[in-house]
Amino acid sequence: MLFRRIYQFLIVYMVAIAFLWMIKMGLSLSDYVIPGIFLVAETAGQVAEEYVFDVINTLSIAVLGQALSIVLAFTVGISGRKSSWIGSFIKVTAYNIQAYPIVALAPIIFILLGDGFIPRLLIASMICYFPLLLSILGIMATPVEDIEHFYIVTGRMRWQLEVKIRAFENLSKLTTVISGSATLAMAGTIVGEFIAANAGIGYSIRIALYQSDIAKILVALFMIGIIISIYQGILETMGEQIKNKWSISKEGVVL
Amino acid sequence: MKKFFILFLLFLLVLVCATPSYARGIKFNYRLKWLFNTSVAGDIYADAKGFFRDVGLDVTVKEGSPEKNAINELELGYAAFGVASADQVIRALDKGAKIFVIAQLFQVNPMQWIYRTDQPEIKTLQDLKGRNIGITFGGNDETIMNTLFAKAGITKKDVTITGVRFDFTPFFMRKVDVWPVYRNSQGVILKDKLAREGEGVYFFNPADFGVNFVANSVVTSEAMMKNNPDLVEKFLNALLKGWEDAMDPAKEAETLEAIKKLDKGTNDAIRKNQLSVTRSLIKPSVSIKIGTIDIAAWKQTEEMMLKEKQIKKSVNIETRLIQIK
Repeated sequence: MLFRRIYQFLIVYMVAIAFLWMIKMGLSLSDYVIPGIFLVAETAGQVAEEYVFDVINTLSIAVLGQALSIVLAFTVGISGRKSSWIGSFIKVTAYNIQAYPIVALAPIIFILLGDGFIPRLLIASMICYFPLLLSILGIMATPVEDIEHFYIVTGRMRWQLEVKIRAFENLSKLTTVISGSATLAMAGTIVGEFIAANAGIGYSIRIALYQSDIAKILVALFMIGIIISIYQGILETMGEQIKNKWSISKEGVVL
Repeated sequence: MKKFFILFLLFLLVLVCATPSYARGIKFNYRLKWLFNTSVAGDIYADAKGFFRDVGLDVTVKEGSPEKNAINELELGYAAFGVASADQVIRALDKGAKIFVIAQLFQVNPMQWIYRTDQPEIKTLQDLKGRNIGITFGGNDETIMNTLFAKAGITKKDVTITGVRFDFTPFFMRKVDVWPVYRNSQGVILKDKLAREGEGVYFFNPADFGVNFVANSVVTSEAMMKNNPDLVEKFLNALLKGWEDAMDPAKEAETLEAIKKLDKGTNDAIRKNQLSVTRSLIKPSVSIKIGTIDIAAWKQTEEMMLKEKQIKKSVNIETRLIQIK
């Protein structure tokens, strides 16, 4: 899974770069507009090490932001799963908060909280939280009637059991959504850094843009892509392992 | 696979054909460096008063933004003329772009630093020592301040450097003493805000200490210079006529009216002050003709960028400056 993710990313990146270079050649553009292969290689030699640390810095915030948004999405998703008034109120509130564009909120967050760790974490979790919430709400609000019926008629149904049943029956969906949200968390952190932070790869991209240095941006995109592919690959592998373990437990072989 | 390849080639062909070309007629775009405001008064005035139309040109003046780069647009054929800062021009030349500077709009760089009058005035560069100075990392102001430090023998231990962004909160809260601003836009607004709080301000202008980093200039492509010199001359004359009129105090009301139509977010008093400051930067004395290219300042800008390792080699900037009479 991990290696597949990496080589899939490499294929996409190479195709995109090749396309850019074809345009560069076709329109005889200078290295200022689209940098050539040698300039990109030279720039990579100069900034690759620095950018790896920047991406790891950003990724660490993104991972924490994602964890926070998973906790938040499960809390809201579980509380809002009922078709009661309070359930519908929670859903509407969650949807409304998402309606505000993060680029408008980010400067306010940075003014209030400075440009340190907390605002970056907050922005990352805000961006990846909503898609997670939608999926979790969908999963938690849909009864697994075949199984739940038994516990309801025998009077043993509790809300914890209901959540467990619904999570287990939709485990592959949840794994996909959580690993997919890693990209969003990373994008969220980068947006936050781009707008106002003083660290991370988003901040480095901003500096490169100030200097119209597209070669640096291409190197940064490569670093982001490769590291996020590794992270997603790890998440998917972990998801597979959890699923296998649960399947074995269900069959009664290991308990 | 073969079908895909043919489709891909067709797509490229369409892309190339779809690229607009200035060479097809006299309708073209002029890409500014920044949004419509008092900083581009002359560009707005020339357009509003029909100076381009009078010489048979159909020019669309397009506002700029941080993401829009006039030099890229010249190369891609989206614009025939544009406004770029000197560092953009020098970086582009370093990377093989074929462009020429045909007029220098700002004779004094509006990039300056603001500080409060309750602090000692900066009379010599040594007075920077011990202050908390704001710098946009990667921006022009970083290069300028580093040059000033080198000139005065100031090391990073002698000052506190703080990275700045768009919001001025750290300056308002006095966390940063000396804050970089565009003198004729943000400078005017900040001065006004602080005056309402009973605070006065000074501006620290690097040019007063011998550091002349060139700001915005009008650029065009080598192909345009070679193939359409008459068009270049016509365009530039109309544009500079617009700037001369816009900077004429006698035409202030008309100029402010033209700007107001495009910049509705700024109040009248601020706009008037901004125009007055812009005038002092574009035409610092009556003897200076608007558009004059300060070759010595361009050379100094190139030297600064070389020292700061922002370019790899000299671009011989003087060979890319064309003063059209």
